[in-house]
Amino acid sequence: MKVKYIINGKEEEYEIHPGEVLLDVLRRNGHSEIKGNCYLGTCGACTVLIDGEPHTSCTILAAKVNGKHITTIKGIGDLNNPHPLQKAFVDVGAVQCGFCTPGTILSAYALLKKNPNPTDEDIKKALDGNLCRCTGYVQQVEAVKFAVKLLKEGKDE
Amino acid sequence: MSNFKSIGKDTKKIDALSLATGQPMFVDDVSFPNTLQIKLLYSPHAHAIIEDIDTSEAEKYPGVKMVLTYKNTPHVPHTTAGQGWPEPSPYDTWMFNEKVKFVGDRVAAVAAETEEQAVEALKLIKVKYKVLPAILDPEEAMKDGAPIIHDEPWITGAYDPKKNLAAHIDIRVGDVEKGFKESDVVVEETFETQYAQHTPIEPHVTITYLDEYGRLVIRTSTQVPFHVRRIVAQALQIPVQKIRVIKPRIGGGFGTKQEIILEEICSFVTLKTGRPARILYTREEEFISARTRHPFKVKVKIGAKKDGMLHAISLYALSNTGAYGTHGLTVASNAGSKTLPLYNKAENVEFISDIVYTNMPVAGAYRGYGATQGYAALEQAIDMVAEKLGMDPWELRKKNHIKAGETSPIFRALGEGREGVTQYIQSCALDELLEKGAKEIGWFEKYGRPKRNGSKVRGVGMSMHMQGSGIPLIDMGAATLKMNEDGSFNLLYGGTDIGTGLDTVAAQIVAETLGIKPEQVIVYASDTDLTPFDVGAYASSGTFVSGGAVLKAALKVREQILEVAREKFGEPDSKDYILENGKVISPKSGKSITLSEIAYDTLYVKNQHQIGATGSFVSPYSPPPFAVHFVEIEVDEETGEIKPIKYVAAVDCGVPINPNLVKGQIIGALVNGIGYALTEEYHFTPSGRMTNPNFMDYKIPSTRDLPEIKVILAETYEPTGPYGAKSVAEININGPIPAIGNALHDALGIRLHRSPYTPERVLEAIRKSKEKKLEPVDPE
Amino acid sequence: MLKLKGIEEVYYPQTIKETVDILRSHGDLAEVVGGGLDISVFPNPRIKFLIFLDNLNLSYVKDSSEGIKIGAMTTITNLIESELIKDYMGGSMHSILPEIATELLRNQITIGGSLGKREPYSDIVTLLYGLNGKIVLSDGEWDEIVSINDFYKENFKRLLKERIIKEVIIEKYTKDYFFSMKRYVRNATDIALFNMAILLKTEGNEIISARVVAGSRPKPAYLMQEAGEFLKGKELSEDLAEEFGKFVEEHIEVGTDTRTTEEYRKNLSHVYAKRILLEAMEAAK
Repeated sequence: MKVKYIINGKEEEYEIHPGEVLLDVLRRNGHSEIKGNCYLGTCGACTVLIDGEPHTSCTILAAKVNGKHITTIKGIGDLNNPHPLQKAFVDVGAVQCGFCTPGTILSAYALLKKNPNPTDEDIKKALDGNLCRCTGYVQQVEAVKFAVKLLKEGKDE
Repeated sequence: MSNFKSIGKDTKKIDALSLATGQPMFVDDVSFPNTLQIKLLYSPHAHAIIEDIDTSEAEKYPGVKMVLTYKNTPHVPHTTAGQGWPEPSPYDTWMFNEKVKFVGDRVAAVAAETEEQAVEALKLIKVKYKVLPAILDPEEAMKDGAPIIHDEPWITGAYDPKKNLAAHIDIRVGDVEKGFKESDVVVEETFETQYAQHTPIEPHVTITYLDEYGRLVIRTSTQVPFHVRRIVAQALQIPVQKIRVIKPRIGGGFGTKQEIILEEICSFVTLKTGRPARILYTREEEFISARTRHPFKVKVKIGAKKDGMLHAISLYALSNTGAYGTHGLTVASNAGSKTLPLYNKAENVEFISDIVYTNMPVAGAYRGYGATQGYAALEQAIDMVAEKLGMDPWELRKKNHIKAGETSPIFRALGEGREGVTQYIQSCALDELLEKGAKEIGWFEKYGRPKRNGSKVRGVGMSMHMQGSGIPLIDMGAATLKMNEDGSFNLLYGGTDIGTGLDTVAAQIVAETLGIKPEQVIVYASDTDLTPFDVGAYASSGTFVSGGAVLKAALKVREQILEVAREKFGEPDSKDYILENGKVISPKSGKSITLSEIAYDTLYVKNQHQIGATGSFVSPYSPPPFAVHFVEIEVDEETGEIKPIKYVAAVDCGVPINPNLVKGQIIGALVNGIGYALTEEYHFTPSGRMTNPNFMDYKIPSTRDLPEIKVILAETYEPTGPYGAKSVAEININGPIPAIGNALHDALGIRLHRSPYTPERVLEAIRKSKEKKLEPVDPE
Repeated sequence: MLKLKGIEEVYYPQTIKETVDILRSHGDLAEVVGGGLDISVFPNPRIKFLIFLDNLNLSYVKDSSEGIKIGAMTTITNLIESELIKDYMGGSMHSILPEIATELLRNQITIGGSLGKREPYSDIVTLLYGLNGKIVLSDGEWDEIVSINDFYKENFKRLLKERIIKEVIIEKYTKDYFFSMKRYVRNATDIALFNMAILLKTEGNEIISARVVAGSRPKPAYLMQEAGEFLKGKELSEDLAEEFGKFVEEHIEVGTDTRTTEEYRKNLSHVYAKRILLEAMEAAK
């Protein structure tokens, strides 16, 4: 069957098997920026935003979200114009192997849209589904706080 | 130190922005047309002979191109351990074996057009097993009459396979029996550590293809590209020159990728079909069939004099190496070699270890590498000695630890598979770590004064550690540096950045040496065709060994640059020249020239030559980093739940070349260690099948499982390391089990002898201790 | 990797009647999909048809005279963000919801899905069961209200082949009611290995009535009648809390599974029962 998504602002149409999950459909169609492999919704590396809300794409049936807006890490910034969150993760040293990074940043992105002034607890809660084995999370939380600052500065300009 | 321009700076990790913006950098982010997908069939039995295997139906399944079993693959004994040659691990496996030795051992592989077809075809493979009695416990495995797991006639390098002994270690210094008799206080206890898995978020994944010249190219998620090349050549009986191994960005390794696990199978399919091939582990396969941490049972005995000086230490380590002996000997060696020298004041020391085969999942390299298991036992026994002496365990450690200028006979006696190398400590900030860490946690106010709030009790615990920086006289790395027109440099080196940031550290070392910015160093690493050799990412060798090679190459290039400048300036001597901001300056004459001018000149104009050099580094030194950990925990007496409240890691890793990256290593390791101490373990059925191969039931820490974490760096200058640096990658994973175990004792006076310290185990220990208190005291 | 190979067709009904018609026409081969977490993680190879409920406008938390109505497609995140839930039962529901699972899963787990699937470890089931929630079943024409207790007494899976869960209603209990829930997890984002919810009605210090629900035992949540009976008419006190803890431990039906033991669950039942009563005492002051 055919499905249509608006991925990072661009409309894309894919041919899918009705039982497929979103992760497989997206990666098969060139979206290598989405990682993941547990297929149980437990590691978070496959996180994407669906209508702005973070979900594990490995547990989302591709057919179910037909027509929706999907945001991947490429939708929030790029090498020339990184989003303050991407910049913050780099500056604070929150990126080690980088495999969990796109998913973690998207969860943080969704948090800051809902709550531009999160506490440490808010940040930890928002990121609790993105497992990381490299950083031990501390610098990731610091990066989100730094991003809050950068976003505020950006608004003041 | 403060004069450094690049060393000691939080240089942005050179790949961080690319990773944070989702560039295709990992093995599986690039796909090739016409790729065959490979899936593996595993043994449901812990111990069985494959009497027959019929793949005819599977071969006929639509889309299937090839089915592999022991019948049609090379029978070349080798080890899967990614170690230097000759590997100190037994050659105890073929690509596929005739006998399966654990639930999860591989039986066959199907290569098909799609993963789904491969999975369906696997179901059609008919295997006739002759099930043999399985041996799941290492102590049982060593007994007379136990079934022999490795009865292959072709096995080599195992200590005594008929007794299921993959290896055996016996090191004695002085006379421990005499030492114990001479001691005023003797403590003896046994501690067990559990199976655990690294769970890198990126699983093992390999893609192979033939290039335009018909050479095999292996694109794989590995820590050891050069070992992959050599061992694949060996296992497939093809020349090394026919193979190229490329290591792109890796999504974490932690030791499980210090193995040659999937590369031979994938390569074989490509060689036989001419087509690209792809294979990766599902998360479940990662748990069951990749590698794990060796479960240890460590018996510690310590004798001390009443003034607190340790006099005799004996460690007996029983290591369960699982079905294959990869890393068995060396991990066990580290349980002694990275622990005992810390307490070098004890003149009588003994380390004995049996490394035993069982029909259990295969253990291999895992961050900490035996030191973790050794310290889990030793650091708790140290606290027990302090208790018997009526001494603060902080005092006991302060009195006994190794100091700068000192050595220990263990360094030489216990190497990794061969004799070690005597080390003299040249940098050690242990006293500063002890002071600062204790202050940060409030040790002297809190220790011995557990704080109770209803049923919740708080206590503090500590542990002290050393590790190493590479394996002396064994680990070698090399780097090639060459100059470009604009004064930038290409650094081609074998060092293997698995996410740690080693490439950035390497750039900083070049930048510091040549007076340029790290951004002007283009790093390309770990490609067996394009970069010189490096053993790979293990033994905490990155900064020290790979970085050492980079420094060597940079120093040679520096000389070349200065010579060209000298000639251009017409001066007799370049000794006092300064390299700064991309320029060479002669301070006496004030003359200066930019690196770019030198480059244009030497590439195009006069005396043309490529400014560049290769440096190799191998060292008799392996300077230990040091760490002291402190933790405050809160135990719920009624439920047994332990909550870590605050964790302090005080670390001496020499000069931190990139403090942010160092901090990342420290925190990442200790959080992993907290998982290992409190929640991570494998569960098995009585027949040896692992029952929790997923994150739902193998619990690793999330953001909501963290204590308050404080990192304290005490800087020292290590003369043998590049710009004074030592390693930091492994050491901090060793702290949590003993620190938390000691804190539990401070809080409730109980000690657990098995990790992880789950609420069920803690509650049981609380109950037992309450019962003991009620019993009439037995005169001993 | 494709796990749900057998799926042939999917539906996006616009009304509940449409949904039930499709369900009835395909019988055992069709399944409604709430959040979709369960079916993607534990795929049933027999299922050929999926019915997505996203267009039925069942995501809401509304106030009504019968109580607070929570639509079947409401996610845990929706509940956390709902103003009506923030202060409900003294904020006890609002404080326990963010503990459950992870943010990513809280965004996907639906109330209807949780009730309909009845995973033994479901915290939502224990929570709503403890609150004596009422499930509204609908076939598009008729709504049928059934207590969670009665719902699970029936062959509810059979029921759900002919109807769907439309919403759940929780009563707007007056100030003389107290509610608390406790759960055992191995680490913060774990499923519950044991959970307990208690709803008390008190007059001053006297317990008028009590509902004690325990779940993930490892069996699914059940109403512990005898525990409720035990508390009736008794005075809240520290002694009662201890007695009650002992009583619950002695009478609770728990077992051992791969995750934890009967003995440990019994111990927890004692501790939770006691602590919830002590909390109630504090709240009554």
